[in-house]
Amino acid sequence: MLKYPLSEEQKILIDLVTQIGEEYIKPHALKWDEEEVFDEKPIKALADADLFGIIIPKEYGGLGWGSFEMCLAVEKLSYYCAGVTTIYAAAFLGSYPIILFGNEEQKKKYLPEIAKGRKLCAFALTEPQAGSDAFAIKTIAKKEGDFYILNGMKHFITNGGIADIYIVVAMTDPAKGARGASAFIVEKDDPGFSVGKKEKKLGLRASVTTELFFNDCKIPKDRLLGKEGMGFVVALRTLDFGRCGVGAQALGIAQAAMEVSLKHATSRIQFGQPIYNFQAVSHTFAEMAIKLEAARALVYNATKYIDSGAKDITGISSIVKCFTSDVAMWITERAIQMMGGFGYMRDYPVQKYFRDAKCLQIYEGTNEIQRNIIARELIKYYK
Amino acid sequence: MGKIIVCIKGVPKPGMTKVDPETHTLKRESLELILNPNDRVALEMAGRLKNNYNTEVIVISMGPPNVIPLLKHVYALGADQMILLSDRAFAGSDTLATSYVLAKAIERLSPFSLVLMGLKSIDGETAQVPPETASLLGIPSLTNVKNLFMENDKWIAIREIDYGEEEVEVTPPLVASISPTAFDYIRPPSLKRLIEVKNKEPLIWQAKDLNLDLQKLGLQGSPTQVIEVFEKKLEAKGLILEGNPEELVEKLLEIFKDKGLIKL
Amino acid sequence: MLEKIELENLPKGSILAYGEFYRGELNSSSLEILSPLKEIGKTLNKKLVLVCLIDSLKDIKNLEEIKKSLADEVWFVINEELKDFREDLYAEVLVRIVKFSRPYGFFFPATKIGMSLAPRIAGTLNVGLCAHVNSLEVKDNQVIMARPTYGENIIAKLISKSIPVMATISLGAFSIKYGTEEPLMKEVIFPKDFVWKSKLKVRNFAPFKKKPTKLSTAKVIVAGGRGLKIKENFQKLFELADILGAEVGATRPVCYEGWVEEERMIGISGVTVKPKVYIGFGISGALQHTVGMENSEYIIAINTDKEAPLVKMANLALIGDAEKILDLLLKKLGK
Repeated sequence: MLKYPLSEEQKILIDLVTQIGEEYIKPHALKWDEEEVFDEKPIKALADADLFGIIIPKEYGGLGWGSFEMCLAVEKLSYYCAGVTTIYAAAFLGSYPIILFGNEEQKKKYLPEIAKGRKLCAFALTEPQAGSDAFAIKTIAKKEGDFYILNGMKHFITNGGIADIYIVVAMTDPAKGARGASAFIVEKDDPGFSVGKKEKKLGLRASVTTELFFNDCKIPKDRLLGKEGMGFVVALRTLDFGRCGVGAQALGIAQAAMEVSLKHATSRIQFGQPIYNFQAVSHTFAEMAIKLEAARALVYNATKYIDSGAKDITGISSIVKCFTSDVAMWITERAIQMMGGFGYMRDYPVQKYFRDAKCLQIYEGTNEIQRNIIARELIKYYK
Repeated sequence: MGKIIVCIKGVPKPGMTKVDPETHTLKRESLELILNPNDRVALEMAGRLKNNYNTEVIVISMGPPNVIPLLKHVYALGADQMILLSDRAFAGSDTLATSYVLAKAIERLSPFSLVLMGLKSIDGETAQVPPETASLLGIPSLTNVKNLFMENDKWIAIREIDYGEEEVEVTPPLVASISPTAFDYIRPPSLKRLIEVKNKEPLIWQAKDLNLDLQKLGLQGSPTQVIEVFEKKLEAKGLILEGNPEELVEKLLEIFKDKGLIKL
Repeated sequence: MLEKIELENLPKGSILAYGEFYRGELNSSSLEILSPLKEIGKTLNKKLVLVCLIDSLKDIKNLEEIKKSLADEVWFVINEELKDFREDLYAEVLVRIVKFSRPYGFFFPATKIGMSLAPRIAGTLNVGLCAHVNSLEVKDNQVIMARPTYGENIIAKLISKSIPVMATISLGAFSIKYGTEEPLMKEVIFPKDFVWKSKLKVRNFAPFKKKPTKLSTAKVIVAGGRGLKIKENFQKLFELADILGAEVGATRPVCYEGWVEEERMIGISGVTVKPKVYIGFGISGALQHTVGMENSEYIIAINTDKEAPLVKMANLALIGDAEKILDLLLKKLGK
């Protein structure tokens, strides 16, 4: 209900994402969800529209904008389909490591291709025994002359198989524990790299999630991002930036759910009147609106802080991710309830929003882990 | 390869057509115009050819000044140059008068390799302007083109007729109108170019810039004329008829005839 | 053997109709358009001529149809360069014929070929051309043509101030009628210096296979629901669709019952349609279905239940048994 003042260019951005959502996504979203298929057309449209380069610096072919604009795009796109948005937003998880830690050659080699949307990205940290406990990763990267040989596997990786660029965190020195990990750029065609099965998911079904296998995967040493031992620094710093994207994604899903159920509530006649007339219903929507506006204010406020060049963004981005994903879950669940039986039917989109929203409480660090992070940052702050 | 010229048209948003009660022509000036949807397909063809052959794409449109935002939008779809053909004298043009103006403008942009247009507009829906313009230019035309590429300096087109598809070789220059079903995927505008075009304006050519014969313009240059217009009234909802099947079927047949579903 | 006639000697002031030949066969739409044109010709006292461009007389497949047609004369132009349809050459030939025979009108069927050819001729002759005309009449010695504009509920009546009056005529707007006398058939001889050249060359032709269901773009839809009671009744909708030039749609329950393939399902889990006319036989109008067709321009519902949602939403509702009405309708339409 609050309209944020936007610049001319930000308005152009939102209109363009809206056009793409309306033309390329809206007619097919439910079908992609039902059939769990990845369609490259909306991705192609996002690429042709220059939307993959929002946060990539101008000198590498991007628009050189910040988290604020990234969130504007992600929120709007998520309104149409959070699954497609997940494929798209992975580009940011792929770009940030290179923008923040890459050397000039790496930036020149990869960023322009990412900006053009020609190469999709994936961020590969999680392993079967290392989810929340990311430090428990076992994939090894052994230096051999001018190469690194990687051995191990990752799972639950978004864009597995369809990405060209994989940011992989592996142990270069297991003895050093958390300080012994390094981040690498693995390319789709690298020898010894293969993709495992595609997972069957509860939601975000338009996106592809797979296992990745490294069997003596040989990559040139210039694929190391930053220095050896910086693996978790790269990962965590990237996630600091990425979390606002999840926040924006949550906003888009929640907005769509609220709108669809509101439309239903105001036209569904029971007992001779629209059900919105009953306080149980209208108050639920009031609560939705309260939480949504609060979540939105939080996201965009945080992005402004991040874009100002602040260094200590970990705590606030965690708060953003945690709060907004919980809000989206609450709103989507209530939205189904407000639509009654229709909400339960897969012919209607509201159940998809509910299933999509659930993942946001889990990926990019579960909300339990987020609370750990917030608690830790809190005492740092209030020393 | 020479230039590619794309002719686009601003059409009233569907549901908002207004007919001038005196001239019985569509009023364009005061309306919100959108890009004729079929023109986007033509622009996609131009975009793909531009990618493959690295040529210049010039977009022209005949219309009132409120077409300018559309031309700018088309810049974001890959046009290198935007030209608006605008003059009060053009108002009320039928397809002949329109083709005359377009042909003159296209001539002025010579030499060129290809002229692309959408198959037809959603307002006039005649599909006549592409071949008509070509005949005034004295060059070949093809309609319902689904694919187009160059081979040994000749255009090879796949075009659809009622019996199937033909592969036709044409000596350039060519005017081609593109089938709406030519592509599975049509690109959206580019964000960078949407921002770039804020600081660009299209070139505007008036009748005098093209040395046009005023007799051939607007209403006076239009041999076809609408003399009367009926607005088919949207029937009020809810006519419920009961009766024996004979009566009901008679009513059905009446409606079928009225709607042109069966012949009298 | 055809009577040969030079260009200069062609009878003047006729009404010409384009006889569209493709691979030796005359398109029936060229015969359809003769019906209204014959009436125009009678009123204005002008001859009706079918003009055909072919490469060889012996390859014509439906000469009998031409002999039975309403045309007073048929003019053939025969040259091997005319084997393939090539707009520029065909237009040159026809323009030549127009220049010499100075017809009153020149009409084309609105086929893809007709729509590609007629504008070139109109442009070269600098005359008006009306498109997709579906009605022609003579008033005060002038031909008045009418055409609808889709999407909007507007019918426009047009005239053309130039001669020849030219128009493309909507396919299916008229039916073929037969003449009482066989037309005079002539071969038009072109001068030796006429250049039979084209900048086009047809390299290949691939004929169409069967066309798939076009429910989403159909202009007329007949749809059936449970009220038709059994599968055999539903199948009769296809006969009706054939007559009306419609596509057949269905509700979810009947698809799941196996009465018809799922591709024909209209509704939230099927296809969304926006036809000009939608006729629902025995469909109650559950939300899942109506969401897929509520934007139809004109809705007809046939149902026994006056309170059914589709009945309430319809422009015209007929309260009766869908099966009975369908049977009677088909009987009346001659099936």
